[in-house]
Amino acid sequence: MKLYLGWFYPDLMSTYGDRGNIIALCHWAKVFRIDIKVVSISINKPKEIILKMDILFMGGAQDKQQEIVNKDLKDNKGEYLKKAIEAEIPGLFVCGAYQFLGNYYKTADGTKIRGLSIFDFYTENPGNNFPRLIGDIGIKTKINSSEIVVGFENHGGRTYLADKNLAFGEVIFGFGNNGIDKTEGIFYKNTIGTYLHGPLLPKNPKITYFLLEKAIEKKYKRKIRVKKIDDEWEKKARELVIKEKIKTYKFKL
Amino acid sequence: MLYFLIIFSKFVSFFIRIFRFGSGSTWPGHLVLFFDPKFVKKVIEKNPNLKIFVVTGTNGKTTTVALLKHLLEKNNISCFSNQEGANLLNGIASALVKNINIKGKIKKEVALFEVDEFNFPLVLKEFNPVGIIILNLFRDQLDRYGEVNNIFSRWLEALKNVSSNTVVFLNGDDPQLYYLGKKILCRVFYFGLRKELMPLKKIPHDVDFNYCPVCFKILSYKKIAYSHLGKFICKNCGFKQSDIFTLDRFVSNFLLKGVCNFYNLTAVFVFLEKIFGFSSKKIELMITDFLPVFGRQEKINYNKRDFYIFLSKNPTGFNQSIDAALSLIKNKKNIFWFILNNKIPDGHDVSWIWDVDFNRIFLANKKIFVSGDRVFDMAIRLKYENSPLKKKIIPIRDLKLTLKEILKATRENEKIFVFPNYSAMLEVRKLLVGRKFL
Repeated sequence: MKLYLGWFYPDLMSTYGDRGNIIALCHWAKVFRIDIKVVSISINKPKEIILKMDILFMGGAQDKQQEIVNKDLKDNKGEYLKKAIEAEIPGLFVCGAYQFLGNYYKTADGTKIRGLSIFDFYTENPGNNFPRLIGDIGIKTKINSSEIVVGFENHGGRTYLADKNLAFGEVIFGFGNNGIDKTEGIFYKNTIGTYLHGPLLPKNPKITYFLLEKAIEKKYKRKIRVKKIDDEWEKKARELVIKEKIKTYKFKL
Repeated sequence: MLYFLIIFSKFVSFFIRIFRFGSGSTWPGHLVLFFDPKFVKKVIEKNPNLKIFVVTGTNGKTTTVALLKHLLEKNNISCFSNQEGANLLNGIASALVKNINIKGKIKKEVALFEVDEFNFPLVLKEFNPVGIIILNLFRDQLDRYGEVNNIFSRWLEALKNVSSNTVVFLNGDDPQLYYLGKKILCRVFYFGLRKELMPLKKIPHDVDFNYCPVCFKILSYKKIAYSHLGKFICKNCGFKQSDIFTLDRFVSNFLLKGVCNFYNLTAVFVFLEKIFGFSSKKIELMITDFLPVFGRQEKINYNKRDFYIFLSKNPTGFNQSIDAALSLIKNKKNIFWFILNNKIPDGHDVSWIWDVDFNRIFLANKKIFVSGDRVFDMAIRLKYENSPLKKKIIPIRDLKLTLKEILKATRENEKIFVFPNYSAMLEVRKLLVGRKFL
């Protein structure tokens, strides 16, 4: 079995250790004996390549890099990205990449940047007088409700979903989409949009597994056979964060 | 008031040192600034003949200041600096308290201040330095400092208000800093490396400014030293560097390893030549007995084993540490020890470890120990890099226990290469030498 993993703009959208998600996908693919090839989808790459991918990933970046990428998406690749998401190609879009998928992003100085409108949500940065939403975050997701997904968030923008039922997860601790309505990210067809970096996939193998499983199902119409997997350290890494949070916030599991 | 404050603060720093509450490098400063926020400004105005130089950047500040101090003192130019870790305004205030007499006068000729990249603009509001060295700008502690573009804009604003008599030394191999030099009114000198000393042909992963600062298209590079530092050109608008001062010879008697240290060294050479008129030959002769600053490639003998400490607190710095360590290694009998904390001075977010390239380390050691607050994040990072060698990796959160296990796993005279981030470096030094600082 062979999968192509399309990594959008690795040279520009990779500010918060986003490469970890790619490394995690490659690691678990190897464990499941899947041959995986990482394909860079940078500015100079043709847009047609997007539909040939089996998994898609895009990370976060700073405003300047996002401006450069936003232009390429709007003028060039956005339409194909939309087709790929509608065609149920599994994908993970973190932070800045997640924000692109909505209707618009209002920056701290009030400029409205049009998004790709693939999903019905918008993001607004309330201005520099408001704090960024920074810290450890734990959510319960629809992918696996028995285990808390743990990550780190750091975003100025607040995202509001038109349909809250489409959220990727429910916030247990941390801020999530906007710090108010307890929603985190978006989950539609096989696409995950989220603010969780940390990065997300290394600490949460169940999400990694979900992306690989969907890709194999779609391409080969079969399941991945999972024997006993070694994820002891991943579990302990999550537990360390959760224990710290129980101490600080005294939330109930 | 000022005199009273000086006497009072001198008492405080005396007591701190006598009773070993610390090294006295921040508390006296905290106190004087609490009573008089303009203390630094006032003291400096009272000493118009004191030549102040500021060194900032993400990596290499402490080493560069130590190197400058070493060379100036060897030439009988008296100087003082703020102590390591104390690179905020309170550290500068503490250094002034230490070197001032009760009349408010400073007898030394030169002050060398290392300033944290975030606080650099705030410090520039207090005084006009004679010279400023800006070493580099990389991502570091994003949850504390914010993104590098933010830091850059704050630097640009601050430097626009600095007196045009100030001489600024910039790393000209960094496209963003080169651009900075073109946007300010001060006299600017650029330092850099010769192409032959740059090891890379392809742009690596750990970069922040790989696009043109003028037209925002991706830059092309002829050669790369590390990260985004190299011989760049924008094929779209023609933006490229010129007038870069380099060292015409390879300085072989310099103890510190790694390309990043060639940059620090070049900055020091260019600075001393332009400001103090030192010849490069003279400097070269005088660096032979320069020893690493604590935690920066420092060698500590403990239980008859050599521990080499490579402070590694952000992706670029970490990659440079690994390069430097590998250049010292001759066989596989070594131990590697990674310590990852996420306390306040480290930043709480540890995502950045995924931007470090670890694949090179697995052949250079017999065992890899991992510890610190975020021990399992680091253990997973290493496991994913080379899962067949997972059994080499031993995660133990507690440093003391890890040290015990390391002693068991090594014989006398064997080498242990330690890669801690900031608070972890202080903790491991405390274990090995009994105190955090020098």
